[in-house]
Amino acid sequence: MTDAAAPLRRPRVRRGEYLAGAICVAVIAIMLWPLVMSAFASFKSPAEAASVPPTYLPHSFSFDNYREILTYHAGLFSYVWNSLSVAGLTILFCLALSVPAGYALARFPLPGKEVIFLILLASMMLPFQALLIPLYLLLNDLGLMASKPGLAVLHTILQLPFSIYLMRNSFEAIPKEMEEAAVVDGASSFFALRRIFLPLVAPGVVTVALFAFITSWNEFIGALILMNHEDSFTVPVMMTGVMTGNFGAINWGGLQASVIISILPCLIVYLLLQRYYISGLLSGAVK
Amino acid sequence: MVYVAPALLFVAVFVLWPLGHLIWLSFTAKSLMSGPDDAVAFVGFDNYARAFGDKNFWRAMTFTLTYTAYITPILLVLNLALALLVSKNTPLRRVTRTVVFLPVVIGLASSSLLWYWLFDQQVGLFNRLLVDMGVLSEPLVWFKKATTGQFAVIISVVWKVVGFGMILMVAGIQAVGNDVIEAAMIDGASAWKRVRRIIIPLAMRSIVLATLISAIGSMLAFDQFYLMSGGGPRGQTFTTVYWIYQSSFVRFELGYGAAQAVLLMIVITSGTAMQLWLSRKGQK
Amino acid sequence: MKMTSLPGFRRLLLTASVAAFSASAVEAETLSMWVRESAADPGKLMVDLWNTSHDNKIELTAIPDSQMITKLATSVQAGNAPDLVSFDLIYMPDFMKAGFLTDVTDQLNADPHYANHIQAYKDIATYEGKIYGVGFTPDVSVLAWNKDLFKAAGLDPEKGPQTIAEVVEDARKIRALGGDTYGFWFSGACPGCNIFVTSPMMVAAGSKMLPKNGTDDALTGDGVKTVLEALKTMWDEGMIPANAETDTGANFVSAFTTGKIGIAGTGGFLISLMAREHPDFNYGLTVLPGVEAGQVSAFVGGDVVAIPAKGKNEAAAREFLTWVLSDDAQLNGLAKNSILTTRTDLADNEYTKGNDKVLTTAKALSVGYVPWVFHFADMVNSDSSPWIGMLQQAIFDGDVDGAITDARAAMLEIAGR
Repeated sequence: MTDAAAPLRRPRVRRGEYLAGAICVAVIAIMLWPLVMSAFASFKSPAEAASVPPTYLPHSFSFDNYREILTYHAGLFSYVWNSLSVAGLTILFCLALSVPAGYALARFPLPGKEVIFLILLASMMLPFQALLIPLYLLLNDLGLMASKPGLAVLHTILQLPFSIYLMRNSFEAIPKEMEEAAVVDGASSFFALRRIFLPLVAPGVVTVALFAFITSWNEFIGALILMNHEDSFTVPVMMTGVMTGNFGAINWGGLQASVIISILPCLIVYLLLQRYYISGLLSGAVK
Repeated sequence: MVYVAPALLFVAVFVLWPLGHLIWLSFTAKSLMSGPDDAVAFVGFDNYARAFGDKNFWRAMTFTLTYTAYITPILLVLNLALALLVSKNTPLRRVTRTVVFLPVVIGLASSSLLWYWLFDQQVGLFNRLLVDMGVLSEPLVWFKKATTGQFAVIISVVWKVVGFGMILMVAGIQAVGNDVIEAAMIDGASAWKRVRRIIIPLAMRSIVLATLISAIGSMLAFDQFYLMSGGGPRGQTFTTVYWIYQSSFVRFELGYGAAQAVLLMIVITSGTAMQLWLSRKGQK
Repeated sequence: MKMTSLPGFRRLLLTASVAAFSASAVEAETLSMWVRESAADPGKLMVDLWNTSHDNKIELTAIPDSQMITKLATSVQAGNAPDLVSFDLIYMPDFMKAGFLTDVTDQLNADPHYANHIQAYKDIATYEGKIYGVGFTPDVSVLAWNKDLFKAAGLDPEKGPQTIAEVVEDARKIRALGGDTYGFWFSGACPGCNIFVTSPMMVAAGSKMLPKNGTDDALTGDGVKTVLEALKTMWDEGMIPANAETDTGANFVSAFTTGKIGIAGTGGFLISLMAREHPDFNYGLTVLPGVEAGQVSAFVGGDVVAIPAKGKNEAAAREFLTWVLSDDAQLNGLAKNSILTTRTDLADNEYTKGNDKVLTTAKALSVGYVPWVFHFADMVNSDSSPWIGMLQQAIFDGDVDGAITDARAAMLEIAGR
């Protein structure tokens, strides 16, 4: 793989470029294939969805799978609304906790800073399933049982370490001079945070929000154990119900439609906010 | 300090307190089927002693470690290869980046179910595709053997998370800066040399981070096996967390499950500490 | 809610005249009720019927089957369980022993309809002489055969297999049709499916299945071995599709309904499912057989309904239990919707007349068994249970005797815990 002599260089670079392009296209195809297949399958009639051997493209076109979800028990919109409001609260909690914490960890000479940081990240290393019972009893004692804030707290626990990590790095990535300028101007640290830093860490904030949304939108077992009424269940709980029948029988068509419905909001949010949060992740993760 | 206080308070109440409760549970014979007012027997280190002698626990632990040992390097290599492929900012590469990252925003449960369908011997399209391409002569029952079952899970998880590590490494590579790379090119350094001597060392921090996140994630693997293999065949694909779940909620032994959870936490924390220490030492 | 200040008074009234009380509730209450997902459809039919004629309304919440135990246990521990719960009857012993359920002995003993309640439901809901619930939405296992395939294979399409040996013979002839037509189906990695459809054949052939305690009989008699060997023969000779080995239940029902399987164990739920989704499917149902003709058994499944301990609306919940056994609930709630009744005196009713399939399931219900054991989840239903381990070791690995010995030891260990 030694570099060719100068005259040969240009065509070789171009050939390499074509090769890289072809690989890119192949990678795109591989990554998208499962999703596209699932999307197609969700529009198959329930009978075709369960046919053997399976078809790549739908031979039939039907909304039956979606109709089933739409009218399932409390109705799709009830589940979606619950999921969205819990996710909204989770985003709020994550930001309220991680932005100031990240700010302080990155900007102030706190005593025992590293230790604090590690404690804050600790929950990343715990098996959440094992903590369920203690958490359940705790939330019950605090009167947060079967409530959206309670569930949002649960989801915040899952997402907080990553949020804090990201915010700390985002704040660290801001050049020192910015802050010094603010201090010279006599601004309070809170003012500096609000007026000077927040706009600069906006991508990080968007990233934290997006990941909080994804985690909360998809979390199943906590939502099931904590909530008590059909009309307070979230989308993943509904999904499990739609696709499993007696003795673990699987409703393949229902599974596809559920998967698509569970993916869609995440996808939309991701594609809309892409620009912000890729840069948020970049600045947040690498520093 | 005022700024960190809310987060610390939150962690103290909602993580450390339940963790304390969990540790306390691990010294008791508490059952899921005990009433709220029943006395709970304190059994000292019995649960821990039992875990050390429990071949199911060790099998699950070994399986989890093997799974982690397989998937971490696979992810590392793919992350890095993809990152090198798409680190330049051309339109096609941007699209590739977006698409590769796409499954990251999907829930693990959704992606596991999606792949569970693709791998199904009867209705699975992945099987059909492999047969149509001539890779397989007939649809494979993937979860019939622990090896192919584990492989199937690895394929699905790699698809789901590979974009995350890739983005981290793209960030690392971009931070290296084009000038450094171009300078090396002018010096006539080969592509491989550029990667090995310049890019990898400078992007080390994101590589370590990506590896750490994927390793911890694999040690805590649950959903993907719960949904795809159900621990089978013959209980050969139970991960540690799955086994803890099984002990606590199927066998009703909350106390014993708690003890296993504590042991797993010790393994993960010490593993993480070791990796961080090694990487720090390597950087110096 | 307002009435809970007088629980003693209400209970007194209830025991005095349970039936008469329902109309005289001073203030309507809303009761919460959980039902496991796979029994949610019949459960909803019953609850809807109740709601049309009662002031106290019930709100139904479906819980995914696999999480029902966890959810109920945690909610009882935290003191916020629902007013009523309908769950897989098999967990009754664990819940009764744990003290999670309300004792309803006096109420049911005073109920004239309880005497006609199917025995299996009475048994499973009784612990140390006290009764804790009633059968709610029943189901029972039977054997299904595909009449078209029987005809194609030269077998009498109107006569299903009457013995285990006949199952094997018929399956062999159907497999001889070749292609992707197979003789038999069972879900080889689904513990619940097999306790439902495979264990009754063992019982019919004279075996005792699960141990009640560490010194009880477990897997005794020749039935276990006979059935395992029959399944092994069918597996070895390729009469069963290859994906049966790992099927965790995904194809438990659908394997048969695709029309490519000759014989398969199934449940009474198949009747309404077929009527709804495959109205032209030509199949028959018979009771699960043993070694000799006339030896039959079935697994009595479905849900029981019970009242979690310390409920806030206990009195109203008790009314519901009484109503479940009433003529109205049995005939208009169950029978009318082609679900079996849980009262033997109503098994033959206007809705079942002339429906051979429903009558077959009714017969199965009357001869069926239900294992009364603790730790059923661990012993049978879990993915790593000795029960499923035995089937796999015997059928797929070929070690029948070793499988039985190992499973027996493991079951006794669990039962002795």
